[in-house]
Amino acid sequence: MGNVVQLEHVTKKFGKQLAVKDVSLTIEKGSTVAILGPNGAGKTTTISMMLGLLEPTEGVVKVFDKSPKETIVRDRIGAMLQEVSIIDMLKVREVIEMFRSYYTSPLQVEELISITGLKEDVLGKWANKLSGGQKRRVGFALALTGNPDLVFFDEPTAGLDITARRNFWEKVETLKSQGKTIIFTTHYLQEADDFSERIILFNNGEVIADGKTEEIKRNLATRSVSFLTDDKEVMALVQTFHTVIRCFEKDGRFYIVTSDTDAVLAQIFQQGIHAKDVAIEQGRLEEVFEHLTSNDQEVM
Amino acid sequence: MNAIMTQCKFELLRIFRNPYFVFWTLFMPIVFYFIFTNIVNTGVPDQNEWEAYYLMSMTTFSVMGSAIMNFGIRMVQEQTGGWSTFLKLTPFPAWAYFTSKMFGQLTMHLLSIIIVFLAGFLINGVSLSFSEWLFSGLWILMASIPFLALGSLIGTMKKVETASGVSNIIYLALAVLGGMWMPIHTFPAFLQHVAEWLPSYHFASGAWEIISGNSPDWKSYLVLVGYMFVFMVIATYVRGKQES
Repeated sequence: MGNVVQLEHVTKKFGKQLAVKDVSLTIEKGSTVAILGPNGAGKTTTISMMLGLLEPTEGVVKVFDKSPKETIVRDRIGAMLQEVSIIDMLKVREVIEMFRSYYTSPLQVEELISITGLKEDVLGKWANKLSGGQKRRVGFALALTGNPDLVFFDEPTAGLDITARRNFWEKVETLKSQGKTIIFTTHYLQEADDFSERIILFNNGEVIADGKTEEIKRNLATRSVSFLTDDKEVMALVQTFHTVIRCFEKDGRFYIVTSDTDAVLAQIFQQGIHAKDVAIEQGRLEEVFEHLTSNDQEVM
Repeated sequence: MNAIMTQCKFELLRIFRNPYFVFWTLFMPIVFYFIFTNIVNTGVPDQNEWEAYYLMSMTTFSVMGSAIMNFGIRMVQEQTGGWSTFLKLTPFPAWAYFTSKMFGQLTMHLLSIIIVFLAGFLINGVSLSFSEWLFSGLWILMASIPFLALGSLIGTMKKVETASGVSNIIYLALAVLGGMWMPIHTFPAFLQHVAEWLPSYHFASGAWEIISGNSPDWKSYLVLVGYMFVFMVIATYVRGKQES
């Protein structure tokens, strides 16, 4: 089958806290998927379940049609996690050698160096005494050691400067061209936009948008109609309009995000809403993203 | 199999490169040995016997230190640093990782035994029969396993600082109360009774018996195996609870 990852009605609770709510999705072979969302949205929890590190409270997670905990599956995946400190008393070269012994068909050290841009001199350093950038490169190399078909990057560029980020994504492009399936989480919308074919947007443990990056942009970055009004009841009324995606109030202005501004305008006038200073705006993706994922006075 | 061999090799390397290991498990016991057999006048009737006896005390002291401190603290470090989690993503199974660590430790214990024995031979010319050397060494190696179980129990702790503090205290308390520093017949009666229930006393006592031409007491086997089970059961329980 073409599905590399499959989640069916997956829910994860930590005690009473609901971290992931009824998420279903499939990820196809060879695709590059960005999982986006603010802190605490459930991105890392979801990835951890895909990796078999966490057991879902309800639902089923399958990777290559099997449980992610199976050794055969582990042999085909690689991951870069947040904040892993490499064990002490070993050199980088030794850690890589150790990792190579775990997999059935690992990459050669030279291949890893060329793919990840790891410098020769770093190989001779103590693995637990590296700078942030070096550490990230080594993590990248370890993720690819087993020549995986599916690669996970959890916040791979957090804390890196622009050059290092661009470098990293250039390397990821190479992986993409080799037909690998890539799943990454990020805070940077731009990265998702530039490097993924598909965006899965998480908020409060739920998938609030999922689709091709282009589509998401079209759907989410829809236009909005905004106006000033004294009528407090407007919010509830406008919610019921056709084509309305959501409404919110910002700096006293009332915004209606919609896929069809004409239809919304028509309805406003039909309902005789006292709308002053009406404006139509082209929403930016960044802005939409912020609103979708922030917890301000937004009414949904 | 290849992976396990590689892992064992690197575990050994890591232990050897650890300066604390060299200090606590080799340097300290040998210095103690030198002081209490050469500098301090212990007034023992048979100096030769004392030198052999105290060599066994210090060897068990050395091995116990490595088992409790090195093994446990390393486990906590790998847990808190996210390394254990990271390893779970690889096809290398957890049991194989644990086995490699055990192997690395036991090899270290064997080396410590050889080195401390050699130091006894070089410092005081301790002479034992071949079978006494062999069987006391084997006893110390095998009887170190319950202390590895104790180490793995310490390995379930959440913080490196707590683990290293607690393991230091346990280690020194077990060593002193178990008669590794001073023979327990010099203790008040009450403490002698305590010692007889400690794994450290039986650990050393087995070796003392062997070099006096006896075999270890059945009580020593019983106490050591008993402690091993208790430590293992608690460690497994705690780990299981942490993972759920």
